[in-house]
Amino acid sequence: MIELTNISKSYRTDTIETLALQRMNLSVPDGEFLSIMGPSGCGKSTLLNIMGLIDEPSEGRVVLAGKEVTDYNGSQTARFRNEQLGFIFQSFHLINDLSVVDNVELPLLYRRVGGKERRRLALEALERVGLSNRATHFPNQLSGGQKQRVAIARAIVGKPNLILADEPTGNLDSHMGGEIMDILTRLNQELGTTIVMVTHDERMAKKTHRLVRLSDGERVS
Amino acid sequence: MIKNYLLLALKVLRRKPFYTFISLFGISFTLMILMLITSMGDAMFGANQPMTEVDRMVFLPQLERYTEFYDTTYTVDTIAMGDGTIRLDSTQEVAPNGNMNNSNGPMSFSFLDKHMRDFTDVDDYTFLSDNSFTDAYLDGRKVTLNTYYTDANYWSVFDFKFLHGLPFGSDDVQEANKVIVITERAATNYFGEVSAGVIGREMELGQEKYRVVGIVQRPLKDDDTIAGDIFLPLTTIDPRQYANQELQGPFQAVFLASSPGKRESVKKQLEFFATNFVMPPESDFERIRLYAGTAMDKFAATTIQTNDADQAKLMLFIPLFSLLALFLALPLINLINLNVSRVFERKSEIAVRKAFGADSRDILYQFIFENLVLTFIGGFLGLVLAFLIIRYVNANDLIGIVRLSFSVKVFAYFILVILGFGLLSGILPAYRMSRTNIGTALR
Repeated sequence: MIELTNISKSYRTDTIETLALQRMNLSVPDGEFLSIMGPSGCGKSTLLNIMGLIDEPSEGRVVLAGKEVTDYNGSQTARFRNEQLGFIFQSFHLINDLSVVDNVELPLLYRRVGGKERRRLALEALERVGLSNRATHFPNQLSGGQKQRVAIARAIVGKPNLILADEPTGNLDSHMGGEIMDILTRLNQELGTTIVMVTHDERMAKKTHRLVRLSDGERVS
Repeated sequence: MIKNYLLLALKVLRRKPFYTFISLFGISFTLMILMLITSMGDAMFGANQPMTEVDRMVFLPQLERYTEFYDTTYTVDTIAMGDGTIRLDSTQEVAPNGNMNNSNGPMSFSFLDKHMRDFTDVDDYTFLSDNSFTDAYLDGRKVTLNTYYTDANYWSVFDFKFLHGLPFGSDDVQEANKVIVITERAATNYFGEVSAGVIGREMELGQEKYRVVGIVQRPLKDDDTIAGDIFLPLTTIDPRQYANQELQGPFQAVFLASSPGKRESVKKQLEFFATNFVMPPESDFERIRLYAGTAMDKFAATTIQTNDADQAKLMLFIPLFSLLALFLALPLINLINLNVSRVFERKSEIAVRKAFGADSRDILYQFIFENLVLTFIGGFLGLVLAFLIIRYVNANDLIGIVRLSFSVKVFAYFILVILGFGLLSGILPAYRMSRTNIGTALR
């Protein structure tokens, strides 16, 4: 369950203050697949970053998985992200020096899971996205769609309650994008994982349970 | 976790071969030089045989006899009196005028024997001659040998490593026995071998024959108390020198204080003795001064060519340490600079790690560890280079007064230096990396 109450976010420079989000209220029940749409600069990614404890709101209250996380310190947010959240980025952000399976193991590494168990869980996650035969490859040897599937495996390996996906199909053609959406939908249905996805693509948004539209930092639907 | 850090560190090094080469070149070259400096420093100042107790030693290499000249300075004041008369008043001051008649040099055996035996806080002491050169002959071949005449205590104050045989004892010294201790180099030069078979054989020195009783390992440094090729009982020195009743002669003394802290006490007692010493009436000089000091005092005073050891140490070590600091700072700053510039390159990776649960401490440790791996590889290369250079330098006696050492102690210093270098050059970049903002880096 995500509860955002009166969330505002402003960025300040010496001369100007930009309001990215204004008094935003949003509630996402467990197991929902929610998409967020809106024009560039409307605050979609800022909203996702606040949900992912990557950014702090200027005002308002954030409750994730029943916990008030607004005032968490650095190590508390790190642990919360590690145990409860999974991220999928538009440009994949895989670590090129690590093999596919090592990339997928990453969240478990910071959970201090032993080597053998890490490997088993990572291979299981890769199996789920249909990439177990690419485990020892390196990111540069994969196509865009395959990279995003590795990124999904990395996001789900720690069995998080919430996956935050920032334009996961943005860098893929429609066929690949469709495949990624199928995987996300399946994850949502089979594992009951809550997914919040930012997208520019109406067709992808239609595949989710609910669509929230933003404009100029405000929720319009 | 450590295995993961290590694998990643090696992968990162492979990813940018040119960067790795530049870094490793700088690190290995710097550490090689540091290793050589450490090795030389250890050989010169370290507690190595035969100066394991160097921290307790007080050296008395010479005595100065001197007479100061004084000037009398008159000052005449003119005072105007109230009744129109002028009064003249004068004062006089007697002070040294800076001119001095003096004579510096080692001491006679009789002076040492009479006055230098009864100090407190001294566990042991030895009297030995300054070095001289003796020609030895074998099968029509002449070998010139650096020679010391010593008492029996010499072998307890200086713990030479005996490869074969034993030192000569107090009976040998008392009875002026013609016995001799030689270094392995002298054994090789004279007998063509270093073996137990040399013990008992005779060496012909000038007109005399001496029986070899011991072979010692050549010390790492040629300090002027231990640098001999051969060592003879001091009673076998030229009888005129042994019987000389003047203050000065060819001898010096080394005291072994009861603890390092007691060296000051020994120095003070020597100073007190010198200040209160009454010169023989027939002497051309009025007073004496004894130049006693630690090994470091002696080294600094000899290098700077002054008798004031404290001033000599300042003059020697301030520039030396400044140069060393500069030498260390340059590659260190260079490495920090290289590392900091790479922070930008790896921002996305750091942000991903943080997004998936790494906290700032994990990132800090990871990058410090990576830097340590780099410096340890560089250090290993530097070590190999230094080892090769040390072998070459020692084999050819290139430095002359010092043989470079390669001991466990030097190796331990070296590991410390690498650790320090790795930490210093890694902490700032790692700290900056750990502060990476995830949102900004992944945008």
